[in-house]
Parts: sequence; C-alpha cells; structure tokens
Amino acid sequence: MANVFVSSVIDAPPEEVWKVIRDFNGLPSWHPLIAQSHIEDGKAADQVGCIRNFTLNDGERIRERLLTLSDVEFTCTYEILESPMGVENYVATLRLVPITDGDRCYIEWTAEFDAPEGEEEALEDHIGGTVFQGGFDALKKRFAA
Amino acid sequence: MVDVFKSAVIDAPVEKVWALIRDFNGHDRWHPIVLDSHIEDGGPSDRVGCVRSFHVRGGAHIREELTALSDQDYSFSYRILEAEVGLLNYVAHMKLVPITEDGRTFLQWWSRFDTPPGEEETLKRMVEEDVYQAGIDAIRKAVGAGAG
Repeated sequence: MANVFVSSVIDAPPEEVWKVIRDFNGLPSWHPLIAQSHIEDGKAADQVGCIRNFTLNDGERIRERLLTLSDVEFTCTYEILESPMGVENYVATLRLVPITDGDRCYIEWTAEFDAPEGEEEALEDHIGGTVFQGGFDALKKRFAA
Repeated sequence: MVDVFKSAVIDAPVEKVWALIRDFNGHDRWHPIVLDSHIEDGGPSDRVGCVRSFHVRGGAHIREELTALSDQDYSFSYRILEAEVGLLNYVAHMKLVPITEDGRTFLQWWSRFDTPPGEEETLKRMVEEDVYQAGIDAIRKAVGAGAG
C-alpha cells in the first residue's frame, strides 16, 4: 500500500478556502493541472456519490467518485474509478483545519493506493509533489495577501 | 457543555515539539502557569493511566490522568480527576502534525467540559487564553521558535 501525506498553511480563513475546494467539479478553477471537468449523470457537485470526469492539460482523463463531503470538518474524500496512472484502491482526502493563532488554515491532502510493482515511489512523488503540492501552491498564490 | 479549540503553527520540526510535550510530567518546565508537578506513585510519565498532580499559579491544585499517548500520531489525551476550579468532565487532547511543505509543526489543543452554571464564559476564556494560548506561546519559546 502506497501512502502520500502533504500539508501546508494557507494564509486565509478555512471558510474562504473551503468555498473554493468544496466544489467537487471546480478543479479547473484552481488546480493548474486540470483543464476541464464535468459531473456525470447531471448530479450536483455536492451530491455524495457523484462522479467527476475531468481532463488534464495533457489530455488524459480521470474519473473520481465523491465519498465524503463535510462542511463541519472541511473534509472531502474521493476515490479514483479510472485514471492513466495505473493505481488501484486509491482513496484520497483533502482537509482544512482552522489555525486560531492567526486566522489562517492548515491544509492536508492524503492518499492511499496500490501501485504496480516498482512504480510505488514514483507515483507517490508525482501525486504528492505535482498534484497535491502543486494544488497547494496554486491556492497559496490565490489567497496571497 | 463548553468546547475549546486552539491551534497554531510552531516554527520547529514535529519531533522537537513532541520531545517537549510528550512528557506528561514536564509541563512545569515550560508552561508559565504550572508551578510544580509530579506523577503520583512515582511511576513513569508515559504510562497511560498515570496521574500528574500539580499546582497552578494562584495556588489551585489539579490532578489529571493520562488517558491516551501516541508516538505514532504525536498526540495525547488527558482528563481532570480533581481540580480546585470549576472544570467538570474535562477531557482534553493535544496533537501535532508535520507541515511537510516547510518542516514546521501544526499544533492543535482542544477540550470539552462542563462548568457550574453561569461560569461558562469565564472558564472558557481562562482555558483558551491562560492555559492553551499561553501554553502555545511557551512551547514556541521552549523549542526556540519565533512567532509562527
């Protein structure tokens, strides 16, 4: 089982950051790797169980199902149904926690998955660095004072 | 029922902060309101179930039991057994998480408790400011970190 854990601090209250990341169909509006996205079967983006179908800048397609959405815990959990990465049993969680000392927020993005033999480390690096940290960098820029 | 939640960024690696706060009997060395502390029955301070007995500034005596300790999650939980202040059914938790981006630490300290009628606001404020925020500031100083 491969594991990714990436965390950072965003200089904005969690309620503000949550408005952006809560939209399960909103990746193209904030994540630099994502070109376009739609929710399958005309469901709402905050309907647990809905599937987002999105395209990366390089044209690859990924489908992910929303498993948990909590406005109280600022948490979003999803699983990959289809992707070009060759991962299996992939479940990821994006989560915010308020930082009371400074009115900022802690952000954490974690994933667990099975990878093809020998590709575990490369996939952990790619997902943790390019996908998750890349997303944090974009959010930090967006909320820069 | 009162809920208190305080959190902060500490400008030091998680292992360093954990080394300080992991000692359930060590708070008299860093927390400004704790005057003295000892573990009852002389046992180790990392034995889950141990009781720390201490005095705070102003003289109040408090006994707290360690109810959970995790080196894996950098967290511990404790409850008040006896206190000469109106904190009833008090259960508290402290937890550290590494901030992978820059090697700092995210610290969370929270609790839930009851109070005598009419004392909710005063005691909430005391726990938030005099205990948790003052403790966070002191942890920063103790690990040599500036304002996170």
